[in-house]
Amino acid sequence: MQGIKDFFSNIWAAIYDWILNDLEIRIDVIIDYFPLFMKGTLYTLGISISAIVIGCILGLFIAFGRLSPYSIIRLPFVWYITFFRGTPLLVQIFIIYLGVAPLFISGAGTTKAVISAIIALSLNSAAYLAEIYRAGIQSIDKGQIEAGRSLGMNKVQTMWYIVLPQSIKRMIPPFGNEFITLVKDSSLASAIAAPEILYWARAVNTRFFITWEPFILISLIYLFITLSLTYLLNYIERRWNIDDNR
Amino acid sequence: MITVNNLKKSFGDNEVLKDINLQVNPQEVVVIIGPSGSGKSTCLRCMNLLESVTEGEILIEGVNITDKNANINEIRTEVGMVFQQFNLFPHKSVLENITLAPIKVRKWSRQQAEEKALDLLEKVNLLEKANEYPNSLSGGQKQRVAIARALAMEPKIMLFDEPTSALDPEMVGEVLDVMKQLAKEGMTMVVVTHEMGFAREVGDRVIFMDEGYIVEENVPEKLFDFPSHERTKSFLSKIL
Ligand SMILES: Nc1ncnc2c1ncn2[C@@H]1O[C@H](COP(=O)(O)OP(=O)(O)OP(=O)(O)O)[C@@H](O)[C@H]1O
Ligand SMILES: [Mg+2]
Repeated sequence: MQGIKDFFSNIWAAIYDWILNDLEIRIDVIIDYFPLFMKGTLYTLGISISAIVIGCILGLFIAFGRLSPYSIIRLPFVWYITFFRGTPLLVQIFIIYLGVAPLFISGAGTTKAVISAIIALSLNSAAYLAEIYRAGIQSIDKGQIEAGRSLGMNKVQTMWYIVLPQSIKRMIPPFGNEFITLVKDSSLASAIAAPEILYWARAVNTRFFITWEPFILISLIYLFITLSLTYLLNYIERRWNIDDNR
Repeated sequence: MITVNNLKKSFGDNEVLKDINLQVNPQEVVVIIGPSGSGKSTCLRCMNLLESVTEGEILIEGVNITDKNANINEIRTEVGMVFQQFNLFPHKSVLENITLAPIKVRKWSRQQAEEKALDLLEKVNLLEKANEYPNSLSGGQKQRVAIARALAMEPKIMLFDEPTSALDPEMVGEVLDVMKQLAKEGMTMVVVTHEMGFAREVGDRVIFMDEGYIVEENVPEKLFDFPSHERTKSFLSKIL
């Protein structure tokens, strides 16, 4: 019995020693770089939020195109969705950054990287969001559309006042998943030197040869953002349900 | 008021309506009966273009609604429709269900639309439900709201597709009463129904449809009591 107890306290002492002495946590570096990590967080948030907003609007248009009864209209949208869902986001980011962005932004500054990241993430998430919109719209009973049309409302009015308000509730959970994916995927922007948080973690890593501090720090930041988002969406969903059962 | 000439309708290879000719006069109540699958709903739905017409023409007050240049939305404001499954908007209150189209389509002010809606709710005996949501209503109440919703657009014609078939028996009466009242006020109505009592009482004319044809039409007393076709006889013997 005593032996086992000694064994565990030895292990604990070893871990303690490792954390304190061998790991040599460089709090000083983190403190020095803290403002840059905060700025990086703003970039991460900025890129993500812009992409969510643009992706939501663009995705709605793509969903309508995808739902068109005419195959000539429908096909390009089907291709769009297939392309953006079927190729790696990182490849899309490089295509936009190296191929598309130089056409209208000169130089190689931060602005170009950030804008490229926003465009690539928007186009990419629009494809996923379009499919969520489509599933939501198609889940509404056809009788609702017929009731709207029989009252003389046109297609747009019926969609806007009758179908969308009912389907948005069903879209909230999958939208939440997509937003969280998008926040995490914004880290790929570090590959084109957009100064978001992964970029700064790697900068600290290569400059000071420390790994745990920056990467655990940014992991915590990502967790904070995604958990806040989850909480927010749960709240909205609950509110919506209450409203609906009045 | 409504004139249907040589109407044909196919779903793919399946010809559902085969040469329908029919006339509905102002203030007339026409009841359509017939076995399941005979094309009653399809015929009714063609009259406000919820189904496209394959061949033939439909004139509403002299306007050819099957014409490619016809303004479908405008035509539909003149033709109210009541569905078997009510199709109320679950995310809107009873009042909003009724005011939505008048405000958005007729461009009435909210106040004007609400006054009209409250009048109609009083008429269908549901004034106290104005601020409830459809989910809290019984089937009969839902259908009465649906009728009020259609009437709010001040249509010249009302189409009813089996308005009482989804109701519990004890609620059928309250909906039929509203429809009878409407008929008495002179509304032009086309009603698909299995309620033979209603057909006899308020129908000016009964049309018997089978397999995409109008087999027979007559005033209710004659059609029910002295049907002239075998198919009409066998159908009536099954349901009466
Ligand atoms: N959207 C559609 N696509 C394909 N076939 C259809 C469609 N709607 C109706 N049909 C077919 O058309 C025929 C007539 O249908 P309809 O609904 O008009 O009959 P009905 O007389 O109203 O019958 P019921 O009393 O059951 O309501 C049926 O055979 C049905 O299967
Ligand atoms: Mg039917």
